[in-house]
Amino acid sequence: MATLKKVLALAVLAAMVAGWFQLKPSTRKYIVYLGKQVPYLPYRYFI
Amino acid sequence: MRVSDYKSIAFDPPVSINYPWVKKTIRACGPGVKEVADYDAIVIGAGLGGLTTGSIISKNGFKTLVLEQADIIGGCCSTFENQGYKFDVGASIVELIRPLEITFERMGKKLEDYIELCQCDPIYAFITPEGKRFTIPTDIDETNEVVRRMAPEDYESWLEFEKYGMWLLDYAMDAMICSDMNTFSAALKVLLKYPKIYSILPTFLKNHEMAVKGAFKNKDMLASVSFQSFFAGAPPYLGSGIFGMIALSEHLGIYYPRGGMIGIPNGIMNAGKEFGLEVRTGVKVEKLLLEGREAKGVILSDGTEITSDFVVSNLNGKVTYFKLVGPQNLPRWAVKAVDSYKVSMPCPMIYVGLDKKPELNAHHTVFTDTVERMNEVWDEYYMRDLIPDHAMSLICWPSECDDSLAPEGHHVLNWICNAPAPYSPLGDNWDRCKDWYKEEGVRQLEKNVLPDARDHIQVLDVSTPLDFERRLLHPQGGIYGLFSDLTSLAMFRMNNRSRAIKNLYLTGASTHFGGGVPTAVASGVVTADYIIKDHG
Repeated sequence: MATLKKVLALAVLAAMVAGWFQLKPSTRKYIVYLGKQVPYLPYRYFI
Repeated sequence: MRVSDYKSIAFDPPVSINYPWVKKTIRACGPGVKEVADYDAIVIGAGLGGLTTGSIISKNGFKTLVLEQADIIGGCCSTFENQGYKFDVGASIVELIRPLEITFERMGKKLEDYIELCQCDPIYAFITPEGKRFTIPTDIDETNEVVRRMAPEDYESWLEFEKYGMWLLDYAMDAMICSDMNTFSAALKVLLKYPKIYSILPTFLKNHEMAVKGAFKNKDMLASVSFQSFFAGAPPYLGSGIFGMIALSEHLGIYYPRGGMIGIPNGIMNAGKEFGLEVRTGVKVEKLLLEGREAKGVILSDGTEITSDFVVSNLNGKVTYFKLVGPQNLPRWAVKAVDSYKVSMPCPMIYVGLDKKPELNAHHTVFTDTVERMNEVWDEYYMRDLIPDHAMSLICWPSECDDSLAPEGHHVLNWICNAPAPYSPLGDNWDRCKDWYKEEGVRQLEKNVLPDARDHIQVLDVSTPLDFERRLLHPQGGIYGLFSDLTSLAMFRMNNRSRAIKNLYLTGASTHFGGGVPTAVASGVVTADYIIKDHG
């Protein structure tokens, strides 16, 4: 069971990596940009 | 602008703008003088947001004083005269007049009694990188025909986009533009009032590039619907897909106030004055008068203190918090929040007075580019402090619909050339680049609009990002307040009612996405609603 879980997790990870590289470069940049802003959101909400 | 470098921003040079026809209304005060005021409200800045808030709350019985550091009102939405030609400082049209109508309705007035708006049709022309020219009329059926000829393969997608977009604008205009979105609960209220609005969520989350490329294939079609993300201050890959709606919203009509864009702030101010609104120009506020973390009034640059029950700032939010309040008076979380925002992009403007009619056919002519080139200009030039050799440009020809702007037979052009341009050109500054930029403007004018332009230019002037910063106190010359990406919109933009300083309210582009006349006015309405709720 534990092995199955590991395999599944690896498969999901592999799919995510493959999906990431299938995105257009500008979409990847957009997501990276938004990701970098996320830590500021709690502060921004309260200002 | 960050806490560490805000001191380097050129706020300190004295503001001296040559508007010879404007009389200064500054009052004689001086250091140590305390103007014990019975003002309920002091509004800092007579931009559209400040005047809208000031006028609406005046109507609601608040004794309100508006203080403007320049000699003329309007901020970016203003008009100045040079040798008989009237040029608009920045804003060039008003589309979506609903926020303006709401403003006057709140005062029990009618928009048309205060502002004479001329409709501009066609709404814009655009020139592709290959030199193909297309003209987009206001009438949506005629536009459909233009699209059918320009991009037959995208015609069906366009009709679908148009049908959905027009429904959305009709259904949820007030929700999208004029609603309070400062908190999750406020946004939820809007959602409950307009439940079908959830359908825009996928478009809202996509970037502008994904949204337009998902709908259209033809490169001319893409060129015609991509540049609008810059109207909100972001390149297609960073702007929200919702900015694609700008391409449709203009079909509801674009308007120009007779006499110049200053007609809009003048109209709002004149209506407000009927309820006792007081406006002083040429008065610079240096600091907020604070008691702990509560606003009690303002301190002027000459040392005069004016007290009030609450203060409204129409300045850029970063300037409000870091310059007027001071980081030392803010809680640490607030410093971190303000610090995290980027300012919007700057846009140098070239103002041209011609003694000949230019070879244009619309109020706005856009020299557009491919989506890839727009993104490249942002990443490879703007972000590296380089001025692009060719990029998107926009020429506004206001004298096409208003002949009062120039002597008879003469014309006025207000031009954004090669946008966006950086605040600090690498190894140089805009004071030194000004003449080069003027020359570049003339060269492009000759190439694209008037081959013998040089022989017909009567007036040639430039406002650089540095000029905008000095004159309008826009940090780094940013024309749309704060940068508008998905993480700085709605409840993640600066709140209209400050949560860091009691009795401080903010209005203007820093509190509303994008920029432009409708959103600045809408922010003023939202701020006025807060004040009436809190103090009414």
